[in-house]
Amino acid sequence: MAAASINRALDFVREAVNEASVLWWRFFDWLALVEWRQLYVTWFLVVVFGVIVDLVNPAIWFILISFGVKVLAGGKRRAELKAKEASDKASVATLERRLMEAQMATLQAQVEPHFLFNTLALIGQLIETDPKEAARVHAHLIEYLRSSLPQMRAGGGGGTLGKQVELSRAYLAIMQARMKERLAVRFDVPDFLGSAPFPPMMLQTLIENAIKHGLEPKVAGGTITVRSQVVGATLHVDVCDDGVGIDLHADEGVGLANIRERLALLYGKDAELVIEMPPGGGACASIRLPYRMTEFD
Amino acid sequence: MSLTALIADDEAPLRAQLRARLNEAWPELRVVAEAANGAEAVALAAEHQPDIVFLDIRMPGMGGIDAARQLYDRCHIVFATAYDQYALDAFEQGAIDYLLKPVTPARLQTTCERLQKRLAGNAAAPQDIGAQLAELGALLKSGGAAKPNYLRWIQAQVGGSLRMVSTREILFFQAEDKYTSVQTASTQLLIRKTLKELTDELDPDEFWRIHRSTLVRVDAILEVTRDMRGRQMVRLRDHPDLLEVSRNHGYLFQQM
Repeated sequence: MAAASINRALDFVREAVNEASVLWWRFFDWLALVEWRQLYVTWFLVVVFGVIVDLVNPAIWFILISFGVKVLAGGKRRAELKAKEASDKASVATLERRLMEAQMATLQAQVEPHFLFNTLALIGQLIETDPKEAARVHAHLIEYLRSSLPQMRAGGGGGTLGKQVELSRAYLAIMQARMKERLAVRFDVPDFLGSAPFPPMMLQTLIENAIKHGLEPKVAGGTITVRSQVVGATLHVDVCDDGVGIDLHADEGVGLANIRERLALLYGKDAELVIEMPPGGGACASIRLPYRMTEFD
Repeated sequence: MSLTALIADDEAPLRAQLRARLNEAWPELRVVAEAANGAEAVALAAEHQPDIVFLDIRMPGMGGIDAARQLYDRCHIVFATAYDQYALDAFEQGAIDYLLKPVTPARLQTTCERLQKRLAGNAAAPQDIGAQLAELGALLKSGGAAKPNYLRWIQAQVGGSLRMVSTREILFFQAEDKYTSVQTASTQLLIRKTLKELTDELDPDEFWRIHRSTLVRVDAILEVTRDMRGRQMVRLRDHPDLLEVSRNHGYLFQQM
């Protein structure tokens, strides 16, 4: 128990020292930055105060020390603070660069070749057997490519939930033509949420994951549910499947990591990506971010 | 006696397409069955004893490669794939027949001629492609790189549901009384797994044990400093906590 109380005392001393050093450096910064005129006024007040409470000596010491510090270290400290400000600016620039890079990575990882080749093979087959269906799938593919190919996205906006849902519908329609009765789709997105801002290609990634890792490996296939709701001030966009669930030993993959990175850069701690395994099996991925009704710009 | 074939592909339209193309390229070949996945293909092959099996590589449940490993000593295997860079490389080097989807009549013609030659010349015993298949199977599963099976997701009970936390999201684990706490940039969760179990199951290059009660993700470390008592302390990128490094684990940061 003696050791514990010594430790406690040590902790207290350490904290006191910390606090004192923080105060001292705050004083130091103030001195370095304050204008001489203001410092004269402060000295005058200190002298008056010192005379009143009969502590002239400490007042003189204060004036001497602050004068010395101001003359000797002020310039250096000012430079340091300027440097810090510059590096803060630089770190904002770094953040912006990271966001750019994350966005570039998303754009490049857009269209999976496997998906494209399989869909083209399907269209080729349908042209021979069911030209109407071929035309339908073909139209969906064009719609999908229009919003997901980087070159074509530039002017397209696409930053609303409505736009993202539309794109996902096109993608899922193609997948349904390929997987037939093995894929069922349910959308539960209220119309009024269509105008809410939502980052591009996130919903898409979640749906691709649900198919690739949840339903494609399952012989019987299953259902994908896209659900959106506002909870408090937060917009929830969920993608759930009743597939094989998550393999605990499989890496989360670039898709999810990229979503997480972009959410952090765009919204900081206000947004999150939550992955769950519901009791009934399968997997649920949920993007949660601050809800706004329309884009400001 | 006419030759028979089996087609396995999880996408019905593509089965129909291959069947139609085969009918044009090789009218005498009779397609006796169609399968929608690997297990079905193996079962149907046992039942119908086809001479040739066309297998899609990616199918739900049992894939084409695994099915082929059970079938190759009984029949000729032809793989069909839309896009699998690893598989294509392997095919180019090896003696395995393959078709690229969408299947073009010309390419199918070549494959059929090769099969006919093989079947007629009774170079009969299909060559031993078992080893090659095993290699290919491993290659496809690991996505190209062989990496051991480390734990990549942590499960935590939150209310009524099971939260899944990717190891890439985790900053550190800390042993509490009965639980282990999992710290991410945004939340803290409690799990029942002990630190010992986690240390064994996680990738040792991804997570380092720096203290009896702390396991930290290497990528999350910003710097290692010393405090006033001379202890090494780990500072993290996205979290204010300082983590103590015990003496036995100080060697981890010797070079830094």
